[in-house]
Amino acid sequence: MSELLEQFLVESRELVQAAADDLLALESAPGDPARLDGAFRAVHTLKGSVALFDLAPMGAALHAGEDLLDALRRGAVAPDRAAMDALLALLGASEAWLDAFAADGRLPDAAAADGRALEAALRARLPGNAPAQPAPLPAASPDWLPALLEREAAAIAPARAEGRTLAALRYVPSPDCFFLGDDPIAIIRALPAPVALHLAQREPWPADGPDPFTCNLVIEAVFAASEAELRQGLRLVADQVALAPVPAPAAPPAPSSSSRGLRVDAARVDALVDLAEELVVARNGLAHLVARVGEENPALARALAESEAGIGRLAERMHRAALGLRLVPLGRAFARLPRLARETAGGLGKEIALSVAGEAVEADRAVVDGLFDPLLHLLRNAIDHGIEPPEVREAAGKPRAGRIALSAAREDGWIAVTLSDDGRGMDPARLRAAAKARGVADDAAIDAMDDAAALDLVFRPGFSTAGTVTAISGRGVGMDAARAAVDSLGGRVAIRSAPGEGTTIRLLLPAGAAVTGVLTVRAGGELYGIPVDAVAETARLPASAILPLGAGEAFVLRGRTLPLLRLAGLLGLKPAPRGGTARLLVTGGAERAALEVEGFGGRLDVLLRPPQGLLRGLPGLAGTALLGDGSALLVLDLPDLLARGGAA
Amino acid sequence: MSVRLDGDAIRLDGPARVEDAEPLLALLHEGPGRTVDLDGAGPLHAAVVQVLLALRPPVRGTPADPFDARWLLPLLGPGS
Repeated sequence: MSELLEQFLVESRELVQAAADDLLALESAPGDPARLDGAFRAVHTLKGSVALFDLAPMGAALHAGEDLLDALRRGAVAPDRAAMDALLALLGASEAWLDAFAADGRLPDAAAADGRALEAALRARLPGNAPAQPAPLPAASPDWLPALLEREAAAIAPARAEGRTLAALRYVPSPDCFFLGDDPIAIIRALPAPVALHLAQREPWPADGPDPFTCNLVIEAVFAASEAELRQGLRLVADQVALAPVPAPAAPPAPSSSSRGLRVDAARVDALVDLAEELVVARNGLAHLVARVGEENPALARALAESEAGIGRLAERMHRAALGLRLVPLGRAFARLPRLARETAGGLGKEIALSVAGEAVEADRAVVDGLFDPLLHLLRNAIDHGIEPPEVREAAGKPRAGRIALSAAREDGWIAVTLSDDGRGMDPARLRAAAKARGVADDAAIDAMDDAAALDLVFRPGFSTAGTVTAISGRGVGMDAARAAVDSLGGRVAIRSAPGEGTTIRLLLPAGAAVTGVLTVRAGGELYGIPVDAVAETARLPASAILPLGAGEAFVLRGRTLPLLRLAGLLGLKPAPRGGTARLLVTGGAERAALEVEGFGGRLDVLLRPPQGLLRGLPGLAGTALLGDGSALLVLDLPDLLARGGAA
Repeated sequence: MSVRLDGDAIRLDGPARVEDAEPLLALLHEGPGRTVDLDGAGPLHAAVVQVLLALRPPVRGTPADPFDARWLLPLLGPGS
């Protein structure tokens, strides 16, 4: 992905988020001018930067959103619910489009129609139903370049003679850019290596002097930089700028002179963390050598030991510092939740007041990124099942809007994330009955549970207390999936509830990355990792000891018959033929099974990362880990894999 | 930034913001022919640059901002 695209995606998502924050704040403080200005500026800037890429439907819809926000700002339109809904729908669509653009490099086919529908909905709120104003294309005229080159020939010639890459720009700032906080000169000032600058007026200056609040400038300039470098600096006003290369004799490009920020690929940070970890381990070897020297030369050993301790301190500090590079604020996982919560509540005809605290608490990136999905699920669940309809709440003497509080805090090296609601709460007796009806566990075990254990039943696979399955959260795969996701991050989930008063769910997560011990095994010719926790023992068995059992195979281990499954088969791969010896591992847990593999590697401590991208949602996958040689190891979720394989 | 009248000259000092354009414009309207002293001024906001471009008062001094001194100053002043 090009740096420009990457930066565009990061900034656009921030702008969508900023606009959504302002719009949501406007719901509690309708007409707040600072929030309206903020939302307007964010949408305006977003509209400007999408012009950089082939995102026309998005640009047109954002333009309509900008017009509506402008009308709201001027007081020409009332900030009613319909206007807010239309604007939030625009932001939701923008976010989805950005995701699609990031994944596929283009908008989905439906984007054109969706964009038109959004545009129509936004324009319908405008007074007099103003038709789309054509976006000004000030810089489209291609004939500005020759005139510029001729006028600035004296300045361009020396730079050209040095063989530098030259690019020209024509920037016509929008007349209201001062209101939006833009300073066109500052934007030009920040570009690298100017060669020529020319300022002119867009329209003749009025006889009585310029309007100090309206920008009437046309800026033309030449830079000793590539178009791409300039585009980078101009990305927020891309819709107001035209760029063109200045024809130049073939020559090596000028070295980039801009080195303001430093954006580092996450994989390189991970590689640094891994190296720092190896350094800590390598130092342990040194300690062993020092001990051996001590027997022969105590004086030398003392000096070595001191030096070794110094290296050890440095190695550990380096390790901590490298891990610190991976820390990001939890706000990253929280930011989109208020808007999604509002959508969910709206769809269910409920009212909620969501408060968020502790966004600044930091945790490892893998933890923060992996937290969004389970949190969203828990939040939707709270709105769907916890919060009562407004009339029911009123009858119970509660405020109409259900209160949901999401907060994060540090606790002894852990991060505690708490989600509490003041809804109807959970009744252990009802949960027990539902669990029995659904056969989540056997009746005697359920009866023996205390109330806390009964509440915990909601996290069992296949449990759902909703009378009817809803589109929001009642699919019966939610709460257990949320717990599994938190488990895979090395965290824990606890639940507390009082009928009629509400429910509190507490997630305890490691602040640093979860280091997981894995056993590497070979199956179907590929290397996989299996968390050590999931393995009770490994064994080699003569092939003759394996007996057919029904359609499958089994063997007897210490007087107990265990089913034998082939890992390659579970993964949908072709198993290698079995030789005279079968290598197998026995899983832990109540329902033991044996898995046959083609070979054992070794034990590794890895940073387990939740599955991303294409791997997301792949059954039986706990995550991925980066190996020392830079390759990725797929780490399997054995219980999940066996549950699926056993059912098949 | 500060915009103030110093005898016959209008002195601009320090970084200019968008709000500085209006007082500058007013001072130039009040006394056409006043010189604008840019010594120590800058970075200048586009709104301020625009006033200087439109009215073209005589300018003197060297802006503190190197970009402004090298690239903007030559474009300002009468009849350029």
